[in-house]
Amino acid sequence: MWDTGTRAAEPRGRIVVVTVAVMAVLIVLQVSVIAALRLPLGSPDIVLVVLCFVALCQGPVTGAVVGFSVGVLADLLSTHVLGQTAMVFSLVGYGVGLVGEETDRSAYLPLAVAAAASALGTAGHAAMAGIIGQPSLTGTQTLLRALGAALYALVLTPVVFPLVTAGLRRLHREQM
Amino acid sequence: MGRDTRRSRMIIIVLLVVAFTLITIDYRSSERSSGVRGALREAFGGVEGAVSTVTRPIGRTLSALAHPNRYQKRADALAAENAELRRRLAEDEEVRRQAAALSSLRLLADRGEYTIIPARVVAIGDITGTDWTVTINAGSADGIAPDRLVINNDGLVGTVLTATAHTAVVRLVSSPASHVGARLENTRLLGAVTGRGTSGSLTFTLYDATLQVKTGDRLVTFGSVDYAGGVPIGVVTKVLDSGGGLSHSAEVTTFAALGSLDLVGVVVGRPATDPGDRLLPPRPIPPPTAAPPAATPSRPPATASPSPGLPVRISPTATLAPAARTSTG
Repeated sequence: MWDTGTRAAEPRGRIVVVTVAVMAVLIVLQVSVIAALRLPLGSPDIVLVVLCFVALCQGPVTGAVVGFSVGVLADLLSTHVLGQTAMVFSLVGYGVGLVGEETDRSAYLPLAVAAAASALGTAGHAAMAGIIGQPSLTGTQTLLRALGAALYALVLTPVVFPLVTAGLRRLHREQM
Repeated sequence: MGRDTRRSRMIIIVLLVVAFTLITIDYRSSERSSGVRGALREAFGGVEGAVSTVTRPIGRTLSALAHPNRYQKRADALAAENAELRRRLAEDEEVRRQAAALSSLRLLADRGEYTIIPARVVAIGDITGTDWTVTINAGSADGIAPDRLVINNDGLVGTVLTATAHTAVVRLVSSPASHVGARLENTRLLGAVTGRGTSGSLTFTLYDATLQVKTGDRLVTFGSVDYAGGVPIGVVTKVLDSGGGLSHSAEVTTFAALGSLDLVGVVVGRPATDPGDRLLPPRPIPPPTAAPPAATPSRPPATASPSPGLPVRISPTATLAPAARTSTG
């Protein structure tokens, strides 16, 4: 499941472009479909989960670049300050990429990383909004949402992780 | 590996600096709908509208199919026909629900003599979940401009933040950045409601700190140059103790269920005179043993109420308040 072809140390242009394009679709899915499901404890953050797996497989550089690009796109589509999501997402992409490089690959790693990254990302968004001076969530709410995002990430991982690795494998094969 | 790490460190630092620069530049501008943003939002708004049009009936069909026989393997003609009929039923139900929502929205708007533009919610917030906004499928081409009030059939929903040609972003009243002038029912006591960052709960603050707010008091918008007056906002559920004994701020539960918005109306025109309190739903008739209420017989009959099943409790345990049904935002 882990094998996505060659291990890319360089951010490959094609992978970044395709991933960001897929993420644009996921952003629409997130705000129009998933948010409309009105699940308890916030909602599953599909964009963050996919970003996390791309970074895990491709390393910190690709992770950071993809995170930044998706973040800027999300910022442009939102009403908050430009760069807010980009900062959180590039940090998440970089951090997860480092974890992917430093640790041994096991079946539990994607689960743990997706849950941790979702929780930290959700808290990061709230923290950024607070730092910029436009707090939008109370502390308790932030904690609840971070917990919810982590739980939903655990549910999403078994479905999303194989899809992401399959997609990346295919991109690598086409590139060779 | 050492070189690699240094390089990746460089890249993340550069990205963070760029992000920080963007924040600094964008922080000062209040314009959120021009240029790249406007064009992108217009394009994505169209897609979002299409996606939610497609997925809305599917969701309902799925729930209609949630039936014990769903795992039956017989894929015969009867089952197919059954599914088709169920789908039609779900669609019919959806159409009927929409018609009912639209007509009760009309009823509320007519009582206030407002001119409204009906629209549907096509996207909720943004991917970070920190924006208390919804995107609707009507924009400046339909006559929507920033700062207009947005209502649904129960009451105030929010205000228009930005509008592109065919989409508009509505800031919900539950946003901490939202401030709407409010007035206590039957009085001219003014204050403002601000979001608390939780769905369906607001903070009302009276401008005059010597006056008191009581549980069960209901609020309508005050109305200003931008805002229409008289739109029902919510009911006071808890008086917040400010410590000195003088409570002039209170927790308010909104009439509109902000967690499950679908059909909304943007108030684009209003009567020359404030409609007063007549948009508020009639108070339930208390049992005869209770103290005589401050009855207002001039109110319209109960049949005109948009939601007769939602009585406004005067008791402090107003757990049945409309917005209490939803916990997420």
